[in-house]
Amino acid sequence: MKSVKKHSLVNKIIYLSLTFLLFLNFNVSGQTGNYDKGKQLFNVNCAACHKLDKKLIGPALANITDKRSKEWLHAWIKDNNALRASGDADANALFKEYNGMPMMQYPQFTAQDIDDILAYTSGKPKEIAQNTAVAKVDPKVAEGKQLFQANCAACHKLDKKLIGPALANITDKRSKEWLHAWITDNNALRASGDADANALFKEYNGMPMMPFPQLSADDIDKILAYTSYVEVKADVTQSKDSNLAKPKASTAWMSIVLGLVLLLVIVWIFVKSNNGFLKIAATIFLLFGIAYLGFGALFQVGIDTDYQPIQPIQFSHKIHSGDNKIDCQYCHSSAKHSKTSGIPSLNVCMNCHKSISEYNGPVTSDKDKAFYDGEIQKVYDAIGWDKDNTAYKPNFEQVPVKWILVHNLADFAYFNHSQHVTVAGVTCQTCHGPVETMEEVKQFSKLTMGWCIECHKTTEVKMKGNGYYNNIHDQLSKKYGIEKVTEAQMGGQECGKCHY
Amino acid sequence: MASNKKYWRSVEELNSDNSVVDQLMQKEFVEEIPTDAFLGDKESLSNSSTTRRDFLKYVGFSTAAASLAACQGPVLKSIPYVVKPDNIIPGVANFYASTMADGSDFANILVKVREGRPIKIEPNKMAGTWGSTSARVQASVLSLYDNNRLRGPLAHNKTTNWSALDSKVVETLNTLKSNKEKIVVLTGTTASPTSDKVIADFAKSFGNVQHVVYDALSESAALDAFETMYGLRALPNYKFENADLIVSIGADFLGDWQGGQYSAAYTKGRIPVKGKMSKHIQIESNLSLTGANADNRIPVKPSEQVFALINLYNAVTGSSFASNKTPADGAIKNIAQHLKKIGNKAVVVCGIQNAAAQILTNALNEALQSEVFDITSPRFVKAGNDTEVKNLVADMAAGKIGALLVYNANPSYSLPNAKAFNDALKNVKLSVAFTMSDDETAVNTQYVATTPHYLEAWGDTEFQSGQFGLMQPTINPLFDTRQFEESLLTWMGADKKYYQTLRDNWSTSILNGGSWNKALHDGLFNGKNTVKLSEKKVDVSASATALLKETKTADFELALYAKTALGDGKQANNPWLQELPDPITRTSWDNYMTISAADAKALGLENWNVSDGALNGSKVNLKVGSIVLNNVPAFIQPGQAKGSIGLAVGYGRTSGMQNEMMTGVNAFAMMQDFNPAQTVSIEKVAGTHEFACVQLQHTIMGRDEIIKETTLDDFINKPKDEWNKTPEFSLNHEAVAAEKVDLWEKFDDTIGHHFNLSIDLATCTGCASCVVACHAENNVPVVGKYEIRVSRDMHWLRIDRYYTSDMTNEKAKEDGIFGSGEMFNTMMIPQENPQVAFQPVMCQHCNHAPCETVCPVAATSHGRQGQNHMSYNRCIGTRYCANNCPYKVRRFNWFKYPDNKEFDFNMNNDLGKMVLNPDVVVRSRGVMEKCSMCLQKTQLSILTAKKEGRPVKDEEFQTACSSACPTGAMVFGDVNDKKSEVAHITKDDRAFHLLAEVGTKPNVMYHLKVRNTEES
Repeated sequence: MKSVKKHSLVNKIIYLSLTFLLFLNFNVSGQTGNYDKGKQLFNVNCAACHKLDKKLIGPALANITDKRSKEWLHAWIKDNNALRASGDADANALFKEYNGMPMMQYPQFTAQDIDDILAYTSGKPKEIAQNTAVAKVDPKVAEGKQLFQANCAACHKLDKKLIGPALANITDKRSKEWLHAWITDNNALRASGDADANALFKEYNGMPMMPFPQLSADDIDKILAYTSYVEVKADVTQSKDSNLAKPKASTAWMSIVLGLVLLLVIVWIFVKSNNGFLKIAATIFLLFGIAYLGFGALFQVGIDTDYQPIQPIQFSHKIHSGDNKIDCQYCHSSAKHSKTSGIPSLNVCMNCHKSISEYNGPVTSDKDKAFYDGEIQKVYDAIGWDKDNTAYKPNFEQVPVKWILVHNLADFAYFNHSQHVTVAGVTCQTCHGPVETMEEVKQFSKLTMGWCIECHKTTEVKMKGNGYYNNIHDQLSKKYGIEKVTEAQMGGQECGKCHY
Repeated sequence: MASNKKYWRSVEELNSDNSVVDQLMQKEFVEEIPTDAFLGDKESLSNSSTTRRDFLKYVGFSTAAASLAACQGPVLKSIPYVVKPDNIIPGVANFYASTMADGSDFANILVKVREGRPIKIEPNKMAGTWGSTSARVQASVLSLYDNNRLRGPLAHNKTTNWSALDSKVVETLNTLKSNKEKIVVLTGTTASPTSDKVIADFAKSFGNVQHVVYDALSESAALDAFETMYGLRALPNYKFENADLIVSIGADFLGDWQGGQYSAAYTKGRIPVKGKMSKHIQIESNLSLTGANADNRIPVKPSEQVFALINLYNAVTGSSFASNKTPADGAIKNIAQHLKKIGNKAVVVCGIQNAAAQILTNALNEALQSEVFDITSPRFVKAGNDTEVKNLVADMAAGKIGALLVYNANPSYSLPNAKAFNDALKNVKLSVAFTMSDDETAVNTQYVATTPHYLEAWGDTEFQSGQFGLMQPTINPLFDTRQFEESLLTWMGADKKYYQTLRDNWSTSILNGGSWNKALHDGLFNGKNTVKLSEKKVDVSASATALLKETKTADFELALYAKTALGDGKQANNPWLQELPDPITRTSWDNYMTISAADAKALGLENWNVSDGALNGSKVNLKVGSIVLNNVPAFIQPGQAKGSIGLAVGYGRTSGMQNEMMTGVNAFAMMQDFNPAQTVSIEKVAGTHEFACVQLQHTIMGRDEIIKETTLDDFINKPKDEWNKTPEFSLNHEAVAAEKVDLWEKFDDTIGHHFNLSIDLATCTGCASCVVACHAENNVPVVGKYEIRVSRDMHWLRIDRYYTSDMTNEKAKEDGIFGSGEMFNTMMIPQENPQVAFQPVMCQHCNHAPCETVCPVAATSHGRQGQNHMSYNRCIGTRYCANNCPYKVRRFNWFKYPDNKEFDFNMNNDLGKMVLNPDVVVRSRGVMEKCSMCLQKTQLSILTAKKEGRPVKDEEFQTACSSACPTGAMVFGDVNDKKSEVAHITKDDRAFHLLAEVGTKPNVMYHLKVRNTEES
C-alpha cells in the first residue's frame, strides 16, 4: 500500500502496542519466512547465479531446505568462506564441486532475510492459467510488424502523423509500385520528376525521408501488409489474482496464541496469584518488555522504509527500467558525476517521448492505457509539447514537475552518488532495491547510519585498475602484506568522511 | 514558666487609639481583597462549561497531541529543471574566470558557481599581480545577495519601470543637448577601456559632456605628480619583489595605498634566502598593517612625515631644501646612507596626499635609479581627480550643470562637503544615480538606474598598462537591473548591446588578433604595453618649498585611514566585513579614534575591561575646522605617534543599509580638501563606548614558545637551537625532543594521505583574506556586535596579533624580579612603539588531540588523513572539548543563527542564504564547531582523482584559507606525498609547532618570523 504520510508515529505506536499485546511475536516469527519478500530478495541477490529449477552458475535451489539444515544454510549464505574455514565438510565438498569458485558473501542479510529467501525456495507457486486468446494473424503481417518497428517506427505511426505521415492503409492512397519506389529510394523518385513525390516532399518542408535500399521487395510487401492490417484487439483476460501464489500459511497465529497465553498468565499472576515472587518476576518482565519495545519504537523514528508517496506524475520505473530496460543512468545521468543522482529534467523525458506519445504495453485493471497516456500527457503539459503537430508550443511558459522526494538523507550526512556509482561500481539496486519492478518508487533501504556502516565494513575497496590506488595498494602490500581492504579499513567509517 | 513579656508587631500597637492596629488584629490585609469581583458571580461561574480540571485535561491532551503530531516528517519536494542547461550538473561546481572591479577593488578572480549561484570567490592563479583576493574581494560575493539591494529602477524615490525612466531621462537629455547645457558623468575609477569608450561615445552624442572621476580614497596627488613628470595620468608601478630596501613614508602599501595588490610582491623578499632578505622601514603616524610588518617603524605625526620626506631627500641628494626638524632626523640620516648604499635596489614610497610630496618621492626614486620604481607599465586602478570634483560641486551650486550621472561613487556620503553637494544637486535639472542600493546619493538624486552586481554584469578592466581583465556574468540578474554602460547606450540610441560593444572594442583595440574565447575563459589578457611617456623637467625645489608651505602643524594631527575590512565603505552592508576584526586593533563593528597611551593619559582617556572581559572606552568630540564629530570612541593604540590620532573612514553609512550595519561615525566629513591629514582638536566627553574586541590581551607575556621570531643576524649566524629550540622532555633521565615523547600510542598514518597546513609568519601580513574565505567556504555564521563583545565570536580562523613589551623574561632576570607580580604587570603593557607579530590560528588538528579524549559522546574524533573530525549531529554541547583545547579554537553555537530574527544577517533571508555552501552543513544551536581543514575540499579532490583513476596532484589539495592567501604564506598539502610542497617545507629549520611542549603533535605548523633589524 502506498501512504502519503511519511511516517506516522501514531500508527507506529498503535502497531507497537499491538505487538506488545502479541508479545513474543518477534521471537516466533523469526522462524518463518515471507514468500513475497523472499522472492524479491532472491531476484535481486541470488538470481544472477541461481535458478530454482536448474543449475546455473550455482546449484538449483528449489527445496534446498530439504537437502540442508536451516542453520547450515544461514551460515553458508552469510559467510561461506568462514564456514569453509571452520572445516565444515559439506561446505568444502560443495566448494570443490564447483571448481573452487566461491560464492559471494551476504553478511548484509538478516536472519529474517535468509528465512524469506528460503521460504521462497521451498514455496510451490501455483501455475497460473493465462487465458490469452491468441488472434490468428497472418505470418506476413507479423513479420511486417517487426520490420516496421525496426525501420519505420522512429518516424511513422499507423494512426497518427509523427515526423512522417500516418501509414495505416497507405496502400489505399498510393499504388504499390509507387510505394516500392519511394521506400527504396525516394530521392531518385523525386529526381525522376514524380509529381506526387515532390508534392509530399514539399508538404513536409523539404525534409527528405531516409532511403531504404536494403529492404527487399518482399520486405516492403510485408510492411505494407502490416500497414493495411486492421488489428483485432486481442482479448486478453488476465487473472485478477496476483501472478504469484499465496505465500505459505504463516505461523503468525502461533505467536498470537503464545502472546495471548503469556498475557493471560501475567494477568492471572496479578489478579489471582498470591505468590509474591511471581508478581515481582512478572513486573520485572513487564518493565523490561516495555523498555525493549519503547526503545524499539524510538529507534524507528525517522526511518522511512517503504515510504511511497503519490507523485505528481505516476512514473512507472517498471515500464521504463524493467520492461524497456532503459539504463538507470540514462535518466539519472548526474549519478556518475555528482553527489546527487539527479531527477531527470523534462527534456530528457522528451528524448523518447517526442515519438512515444501513447502507452502500448501490458495494462492492469486499475491502470489502463488511457491512464498511462494521461500520465505522458502531463509531461507534455509541463514542457509545452503539442503532440498532434509534433512541435513545441511557441511562447509556452514551462512548469517544472514538483516530484516528492522519496529518499531523504538527513542534511548532516554527506552522501555522494558518484563515489559509489563511478568509483566503487555499486549497482543502483544495492541501495534502491529492485526499482525495475516498482510501479511506483518506494524507499527500499533504511538509510540509517548503521545501514551505511554495515556495508562499509564488508565492502572491499576496488583498487585494481584505478590509478588513484596504485600507490596505496603498493604501500599496503609492502607494509602489511594485505591485498584487500574493506571500505571501513580505508577510513570509510570515520565520522568526518560523511559528516561535515 | 509563662513569661509576662509583651511582644508587639509595630510601634503603632503601643498606641491603643490607632484604628489600624485593631483592624490588623482582625484581618491579615488592611484593605479588602476583591475576591467577590471574580468569584462572587456564582451564576456565571457555575454556567461555565469548563471546570478547572477539564481545563487541565485539555491542556494535557493538546500538549501530547501536539508533540505526537510533530513527529510527522515533512513532505519534501524535489524539483528538477524543465530543460537542464548542458553545462550544469546538479551538485558539481562550475568555475568562471571574471574580474572584480567596483571602483575600489580590482582583482582577477575565479567564481565558484553551484547550480547557477555564485557562492565563492577564488583568486585567479593564472594572473600575476592582480590575481590575488583581499578580504573585501572575498566578501564581495555576499554583497550580490544583499537584501538591501534595490529591486528595480526608481524615479523620485518611487519604483518605476525602465521604459518610463528612459523616456523621461532621454527627453531631458535632449533638451539639455539642444540648450548646450553641461552634462557631467561622475564615476569612480573605471579602469575600463570599454566603459570609457561608451562614456566617450555618450559625450559625442550629447555634446557638452564631461567625465569626472572621483575616488573616495583618492590618489589624486600621486596622479598629478605622475602627470606632471611623465605626461600621463596614471600611477607608477612598484616592483617590490626586486627591492632590498623599502622606505615607506606614510604609505600603507599592504592596504589600500595606490590601489593595493602589492602584498604578494612585497612578501617575496621577506623570507631569508641564502642569508638575504629585504629590509622595510616605515615612517608613519597610525599603526597600519604595513607598519606592523615593517622591520623598523618610526612613529611621527603626519606633518613630520612631510618634513622627514624633505630631510630624506636632502640627505640622499645632497640638496638643502628648507624643512623642519623631526624626531626621526637621526634615523633618517642612517636611512639615507643605507639608501645610497643599496642604490637601485632601494625604493621610497610615500602616502602623503600632496602632489609636491609625490613629485619629491618620484624624484628621489629617480635619483636612486630605483629598479623597483617602474614607470613603464603604469597602473590605472586609481584615477580620481580632486580638483575636477571640487570644481564640479562649485559649478553645480552655481547652476552651471544641467545633468549629473553618478556611477560607482557615493558623493553624498563620502564628500567632505556632502551637504553642499546635496544642496547643489537641487540646482541640477537631471540627476541619475547608478547604484545597487538606495544609498545616500540615490536618495538625493531624481532617478536611480539600478545597476547589477559585478557578478551579474559584463565588463573589462585595464589594471595596468597591457594587463587586461574580463568580467562576465555568472548568474542571471536577480533583480530588474541594467548596467551603467547599457543605460548609456540605450539613452544615446545605440543599436548595440553592451556585450556586443565590449566584444567589438576588444577585437578592434585590445585582442590584437588574440582569441576572445580564450580571453573570456582565462578572464584575463596580456596585451601590448602601449604606454607612451613624455618626461618633463620639474622644479623639485619649488615643489619642496610649496610642500613646506602647505603643511600645517598642530598639537594634534588627524590621519584618516581605510580599514582592511570596510575600505571606503562601499560594502558596508556586508556582515562578513563588519564582523571581520581589524588586524591591528582586533575590533569589529566599529570605527574609533586611535590615540597613543601617553596622549590618552594626558587627556584623561581610558580603555578598560569590564567584568565579562569586554572592552569599554571613553568618548571624545573631534573638531576639524568647523566640522565636529561627536561621541567618537577612543581606542588606545600602541605605536600611534604621539600628537597624532587616527580615524577610519567607511563607517557611518546611513542609507540603503540594514540597521545592524549602520555602525561608527562618518569620518569622510573630516577629509577637508580631500586630504586625510588634518589638524584637529580633541575634547573629552562623558559617556562610555562599548567595543566589540576579540583579543583583549596585547602581549605574549613572556611565553616565547607561542610565537617565535628571530633576527636575520641570529638566523644566519647562530645554530638553529638558539632561535628555534624544540622543547625537551626528560625520558629515562635523558633530555629528549618533545616530538619524540609520546603519551599515546601512535597510529599508522603513513598510508594514504596525511594533511598538513604550514603557515609562514614571515610572509603572513595579517590581511585577513583567509578569515573571510573561511566564512564563505564553511557557512560560518555572523553573530553581531553584542555576541562578539561577550566573546561568542564564531570565526573558525582568527589572526592573533601580539605586541612586544618592554619587559621580557631576560630583563626580569637581570632586574631580579623574575616571576614577580611586578614583572607580569609590566609585561602586560605593550611598548610605546612595539614590534607586531601576526599569527593565524585555527584548529591545529592535533594527532594527539586533547579534545578527542574528553568528549563524552565521541563527537570529535581523529581521521587517518590527519584531520580532527567534528560530527555536529553527534555533539551534545558539553563544551568539554573547548575547555580542554590548548589553542582555544573551538566555537560553541550559543544560538540558532539561521532563521532567527535576533541575528538578522545573511542566514536570515532567502537572498542571503543563497551564498551558503551546499556541501557544508549549517550548524544548529548547542553544538561545537571548528575548522575542519576544509574536509569537504580534500574529499572532493580525492574523489575527482578516484573518478579519473589517477593520483591527486599536489596543487589540488587546498583549504579555503591557503587558496585565498595572497602571499602564499599558507601552504596546504599531503605530507605523505614526498614530492609535495608542504612535505618539503615541513623540514625547514624555521618550522615549529604551536605549544609543542604540550605534546599534541599538531598537523598545523608555523614558520617563524625573521626580522631584518640590523642597522646599516
